[in-house]
Amino acid sequence: MYLLRLAFRSLLNRRFSALLTVLAIALSVTLLLGVEKVRTEARASFAGTISGTDLIVGPRTGSVQLLLYSVFRIGNASSNMRWDSYERIAAHPRVQWAIPVSLGDSHRGFKVMGTTTDYFSHYRHGRNQQLQFRAGQAFDDLYDAVLGADVARELNYQLGSELVLAHGTGAVSFVEHADKPFRVSGILARTGTPVDRTIHVSLRGLEALHVDWQKDMPARGAAQVSAEQARELELTPSGITAMLLGLDSRVATFAVQRDINRFPHEPLMAVLPGVALQELWSLLGVAEKALFVVSIFVVLTGLVGMLTAILASLNERRREMAILRSVGARPRHIFSLLLLEAFGLALAGVLLGLALMYLTLWLAQPIILSHYGLFIPITPPGLWDWTLLGAILLAAIVMGGVPAWRAYRQSLIDGLSIRT
Amino acid sequence: MSTPVIQLENVTFAWPGRPVLLDIARFTLQPGERVFLKGPSGSGKTTLLGLLGGVQLPDTGTIRLLGEDLAGMSGSRRDRFRADHSGYIFQMFNLLPYLSVLENITLPCHFSALRQQRARQRHGSVEAAARHLLAHLGLDRPELLRQPVTELSIGQQQRVAAARALIGNPELVIADEPTSALDADTREAFLELLFIECQAAGSSLLFVSHDAALESLFDRSLSLRELNRAASSAGVI
Repeated sequence: MYLLRLAFRSLLNRRFSALLTVLAIALSVTLLLGVEKVRTEARASFAGTISGTDLIVGPRTGSVQLLLYSVFRIGNASSNMRWDSYERIAAHPRVQWAIPVSLGDSHRGFKVMGTTTDYFSHYRHGRNQQLQFRAGQAFDDLYDAVLGADVARELNYQLGSELVLAHGTGAVSFVEHADKPFRVSGILARTGTPVDRTIHVSLRGLEALHVDWQKDMPARGAAQVSAEQARELELTPSGITAMLLGLDSRVATFAVQRDINRFPHEPLMAVLPGVALQELWSLLGVAEKALFVVSIFVVLTGLVGMLTAILASLNERRREMAILRSVGARPRHIFSLLLLEAFGLALAGVLLGLALMYLTLWLAQPIILSHYGLFIPITPPGLWDWTLLGAILLAAIVMGGVPAWRAYRQSLIDGLSIRT
Repeated sequence: MSTPVIQLENVTFAWPGRPVLLDIARFTLQPGERVFLKGPSGSGKTTLLGLLGGVQLPDTGTIRLLGEDLAGMSGSRRDRFRADHSGYIFQMFNLLPYLSVLENITLPCHFSALRQQRARQRHGSVEAAARHLLAHLGLDRPELLRQPVTELSIGQQQRVAAARALIGNPELVIADEPTSALDADTREAFLELLFIECQAAGSSLLFVSHDAALESLFDRSLSLRELNRAASSAGVI
């Protein structure tokens, strides 16, 4: 106990260099814990992009690619699946619900997705959370649109705002569906998923836009169909991009998947969202692991800095050691004193680092949420965090053993003689 | 006859790979005795103090402190023995700069249960013992106690060091050139105080110095060069 006090007073006497050492460790701990926090939350948020859907069905392609365009709205489908295939699969005895997804149009950089109102009741994200309307309701009219939270915020749209969809998915499009503007009927609450950046319209509405198109070009003159005329037409699409399936039981998943993969009428594939997500994450995971490794090294750098500071101080503290020896301190006291010093510095660094991390998190939370749609909850450190912190302290003790051993040897040689 | 505090017999010592540095046939220090040991720097003085502190062991011969053979003890036992029975005063900068005056004085009591016990028996508490010594050494002005030790004058620092060596009444006080940084007036005053307090504590005093002017004040004076048979053969190192 007395040694602890001595170590503390000795450090206090060298408070400037001790403070710098603590700060270096604290910053590295903040970085490590921060990276860990973002890493876990990003992974959780990623894994929670789609939940409650048992199968994603689309034309044959890679499973990651199907996931990318049907859920993340990244890239484009190379081909469509036929509407009658959709109807056949939806009628499968084990299928409880089926949601069509049709992509290909955009509005000022945001993807437009044609679907049915079932989407709002069956699509789940996070821990089985349903989509919530912040304002208005699902589309009802042919030209109604439901906006994701980011779309509404960034384009500053309210209920009733009119928007003209563009053909194709580029940020700037030259071919607009100006003749058939949509009206905002609902705005979704934030989900932290790509849903936030999507404009949802009815499948029929999307079909109405293209009903008079021929060979991927808008109709001219008399061939044009006005918005009102379109309402009278049979607006069944010929094809869709993909479909999401909910089954009556989880157990049926593999059987249905097999049935779809052997679908006789069209080459189709069905993927399990969880499996595809994991496959995709294993691609992204390299960057995430690299980040972790980098922050581990930053922590090591902090500890090496501490080692340097203590080692550098040893020579000028030979007098201190000799005095302690002369008043009865044994070499093992000298050893413990220096070990306590290293441990104390690391502990102070870890605690300050924790405090800094939570402060940063508290300050950055709203910014991260609004910029990246990633909500990072402020939760107490988990088991893994404590393990990491414990490992840092352990490493500090191991490294502190180096100057402690040197001081021990030195005090054996110097004994009571004061050398400076 | 009571047991001598220090008893050296046929002690030789050499640092590894170096010629014999110390060769002392006989040296004793009786209880309560004040001995002046004259030794210029390089005469093996520091090494002798290391041997007496049990930090080094002699190559041949025996060193007994209070009748106990140091070589027969384990390393940590020797350390404890030193802490229990001897106090040290060095040339200068004796104090730990990060402790207060009182904390510096009570330092030995944290490493020696025996000295802590003795201080308590005499004065009630370790702190009371320290205050008592300070008062006797003329350092009891309250503002002095609040100052960082680095702001004390060298004379004051040496008196604090003396108090530290004396707390808990060790049988032996070893002073290694404690007055060499002091001017002539303070030197004698310091010695006088040291003598009185050593007597009060019942401690023997081994005073090592090259300053021959002081030797007349002691019970006995010895020259390390005469004592050390190795010095004449190997010359001054």
